[in-house]
Amino acid sequence: MQDSQLINEGLALMGLGMGFVFVFLTVLVGVTTLMSKTIGRFFPEPVAPDVRDSRAPAARQDDDLTAVISAAVHRYRRRHKR
Amino acid sequence: MSEKILTLWYGSGLYNLTLGQGVMVLVGLLLLYLAIQKKFEPLLLVPIGFGGILANIPQAGLALSAAEQAAHLASPALLEQMAQTLKLSLDPAAGIEAWRHSLSEVLHGDISPALVRAANDVAMDGGYAHGMLYQFYSVAIASGIAPLVIFMGVGAMTDFGPLLANPRTLFLGAAAQFGIFATLLGAVGMSALGWMDFSLNQAAAIGIIGGADGPTSIYVSSILAPELLGAIAVASYSYMALVPLIQPPIMKALTSKREREITMTQLRPVSKLEKIVFPISLLILVVLFLPDAAPLLGMFCFGNLMRESGVVERLSDTTQNALINIVTIFLGLSVGSKLIAERFLAVETLGILALGMVAFAIGTACGVLMAKLMNTVSKMPINPLIGSAGVSAVPMAARVSNKVGLESNPHNFLLMHAMGPNVAGVIGSAVAAGVMIKYLG
Repeated sequence: MQDSQLINEGLALMGLGMGFVFVFLTVLVGVTTLMSKTIGRFFPEPVAPDVRDSRAPAARQDDDLTAVISAAVHRYRRRHKR
Repeated sequence: MSEKILTLWYGSGLYNLTLGQGVMVLVGLLLLYLAIQKKFEPLLLVPIGFGGILANIPQAGLALSAAEQAAHLASPALLEQMAQTLKLSLDPAAGIEAWRHSLSEVLHGDISPALVRAANDVAMDGGYAHGMLYQFYSVAIASGIAPLVIFMGVGAMTDFGPLLANPRTLFLGAAAQFGIFATLLGAVGMSALGWMDFSLNQAAAIGIIGGADGPTSIYVSSILAPELLGAIAVASYSYMALVPLIQPPIMKALTSKREREITMTQLRPVSKLEKIVFPISLLILVVLFLPDAAPLLGMFCFGNLMRESGVVERLSDTTQNALINIVTIFLGLSVGSKLIAERFLAVETLGILALGMVAFAIGTACGVLMAKLMNTVSKMPINPLIGSAGVSAVPMAARVSNKVGLESNPHNFLLMHAMGPNVAGVIGSAVAAGVMIKYLG
């Protein structure tokens, strides 16, 4: 009699525990997804403008550099063709 | 002269060594061997093994309270005084050895804390003091502090990035907790069949081994079943070290080669703000739904916030290095103090070791099965191998997923994908611990 009571208690705890773990983590999944979406929409990487600013001159420099290098390569190739 | 030599002999360890103590010293040496030679969780098994040896030094009583020491060593007058405090009548005809025995029995049994305190006071007045390991135990574990500080350190070491990039892996961490509750049922079933004698509280503390999370299982058993703490901690840490041996056969048996070869899509980058907000939102959920998990998850979130906020570099650094190391030393020694022969050498310990193994196996299997289920339902491919990482054991379980994945497809790196369910498992087992403490505590 007492044994079956113990097993019933165990089963109850198992159902309750497992159920609660799933409910809690499901809510956590929801909250996390919501949070990520909110942050993605309203605070899209607050450092983003800085990045663009710092990238812009870098990109310009890169353009200059590319022009110089391609000119050099071009000249080198022409010279070696001859 | 010969009398003096005899006194020395009677006071020696060799004369007083009981069989149980001898066996426990060997168990301590075995733990040291596993830690040093086989590299099984050496950071914990070295202190635990050494503490276990210290606890079993005859006559020294390092792991005993003042009252327990007095019961072993004190003069008849003090014994009578203690018996009076404990409301125990000593049979004058039975002899002093029988007195000592019945006093120890009473002190180990379940008597009210007030009586224990009173007995300790009498023993202290008689010149006896708490043993060193007993002091460590009461400060580190009985107060609940050491596991919580370690949890804070674990939080400070955890990167929630992979979890935030793919929050659905939290379900894997939830599924793997089934091992905990299945084992609880197993322990209850064993008592019902009359093989063992576990109460529901003890069964719950044993089940939490399946969470594969050392600090959590120590915390839960210190609350629900302190008498089993030694065996539970040893089982928990030994099996965590055995994860690379226990998990792969189960993972391979439950998946086909094709499933193991599934490549997963690259995780999206996670912004810093998300990482800062996550521990706070987790804490709010704990506050709302399960305050009983607040000590564990609260410290976890606190540690993680220190890491991610990026403004308290020094605190975060201390938490994940110096502090966690210091606490680990005392935690290990305190667990070792619970390896006293008369309490560890019981059939129950074998039951705990067996059940712990089952808990791990079931947790792993459930994680893998859940991942298979999710793979059929979701559009995004999920490799079932990452499911096994749902049994916390950070980062060992994730590495195992990665390794088994590489065996099937040498270009498939699952490590980062497996870290998601891995840290989800930590949250999951803390939630399960909270439910058990709420239900039984």
